[in-house]
Amino acid sequence: MREVVVVGVGMHRFGKTGDSVVGTKSVTELCRHAVDMALADAGVKWKQIEAVSAASSRFSGGKGWGLNGNDVVENVGSTGIPIYNLSAGCAAGGNAFNVGYSMVAGGIYDMMLVVGGEVMPKGMIQTSGVEEATDPEFLRQRCVGIPGPAFWATLARRRMHDYGTTEEQFAKVTVKARKCSVGNPYARFQKEVSIAEVLASPYVSNPLRLFEICPVSNGAAAAIICTREKARQFTAKPITVATSTVATMTFEDALPRGLAGPVPAGASFHTEARGAVLKAFEKAGIGPKEVSFTELQDNTCYYELAFPEEWGLCEPGEAERLLEAGETAPTGRMPINPSGGFVSFGEATTAMGVFQIAETTWQLRGQAGGRQVPDAKVGLTQTLGLGGNATAAILKR
Amino acid sequence: MENHSPCVPGLFEDQGGVHLLGARCVTCGTPYFPRQAACRNPHCGESKMEDCSFSGRGTVWSYSVADFSPPAPFKCDPPFKPYVIAVVDLENGLRIVGQMMNEFEEMKVGALVELVIDTLYHEGDVARTTWKFKPAGGH
Ligand SMILES: [Zn+2]
Repeated sequence: MREVVVVGVGMHRFGKTGDSVVGTKSVTELCRHAVDMALADAGVKWKQIEAVSAASSRFSGGKGWGLNGNDVVENVGSTGIPIYNLSAGCAAGGNAFNVGYSMVAGGIYDMMLVVGGEVMPKGMIQTSGVEEATDPEFLRQRCVGIPGPAFWATLARRRMHDYGTTEEQFAKVTVKARKCSVGNPYARFQKEVSIAEVLASPYVSNPLRLFEICPVSNGAAAAIICTREKARQFTAKPITVATSTVATMTFEDALPRGLAGPVPAGASFHTEARGAVLKAFEKAGIGPKEVSFTELQDNTCYYELAFPEEWGLCEPGEAERLLEAGETAPTGRMPINPSGGFVSFGEATTAMGVFQIAETTWQLRGQAGGRQVPDAKVGLTQTLGLGGNATAAILKR
Repeated sequence: MENHSPCVPGLFEDQGGVHLLGARCVTCGTPYFPRQAACRNPHCGESKMEDCSFSGRGTVWSYSVADFSPPAPFKCDPPFKPYVIAVVDLENGLRIVGQMMNEFEEMKVGALVELVIDTLYHEGDVARTTWKFKPAGGH
């Protein structure tokens, strides 16, 4: 295995279709912006990119087949390079990074572009649309009716039972997240919100409120990765990819994802996310206590409390106390989502894994402005996607 | 009396109590609903599926509220009214999701509930039914 580094990153600010930020830009236009920025950041010319690993979108571009990497390459200039289009739901950006990392580490290519972008449809994400009794998602919606956020609300309610978490504490996660987003030029929301404003927002699925669940956004991110040796031509201080991992959920996973499953003997949690993160700790030889900050997938505030505990960043039931003591802020002992997270960006689904790599790179370079984690040395990232997909990466300087 | 018919056929029967039509692997004991042709437990030595039915009572593992209408293929009689969704651990080892018959204010993690068959929506003069839960012994 060869050591892999990040030499350039780029992002298009996140926004909502029709606003002044993303307007009517296509996913390819958003990606082009991010790619140009990453190439300029790295000092790399497009013709030096040997292959592309791209996240596949189900929603936009990609010729209707998720060929988003092909759209990007045609737009930037068809050089005949191999393109890998990766599909893993909301974990696709993380998967694309993992495939790029694995190929560079494995000696297949010396320099690759990793890119993910999304233009999201309005409103609640539709299911597959299949109306067959053999389709589990059809049965879930026809026989019960489970809006997407109800899954998160169920986990949040269980946490309230297990640890006495209050609705005010969920709201405080949003208040902290939005505080981080102030001055982040790439965030969709860049204004603070008060706890009263969060608690005044309507329930999307009780106990979770509108401001505690990330909306869908349009956006894109890109990263140029290469071998450490190759990086010498471009920079003296590349960011090292300590590892990148992928995992899927296991049979023991007892979260209510389908209609029914066995009652578990122990606790119920996201086995795919835990699998990816613990494997990352093991492969990198870096423990949770050495992590300077974490960028995790906060589709809802609940995850900011639950995930650090499930991965050993803190003790079970400790997250609320750390939040209220300010320890999850960029200047705290366990900074979570200094970028402002999905709650501040909105989710441009397949872009998110690459978005996290870009933010983590800026943090480790000390370029994160007002949201900078002081003396950040090691950053942990994690994504989660439909189908029980998850990814993690550890970057260090 | 109006005509009743399951919203999806083959998932349950309500003659002489509620019976969800499931299966269980004889080798490893894993319960399945709906029925599966083969065991999915990677630690199971040999898949040996036997049809069985799930009924009776369970405890609420957690719950949430559909404050807004889920997307299609969800169906309800208009206008949409928010309802409680529960995740219930049945006494016979199955964790299952279903709508609650009672209001949010009456919900509690750990509460004892029982399976019922109830109307989900109407199609012409036919009431389409599904499984739901109500407080055990109550109402
Ligand atoms: Zn078995």
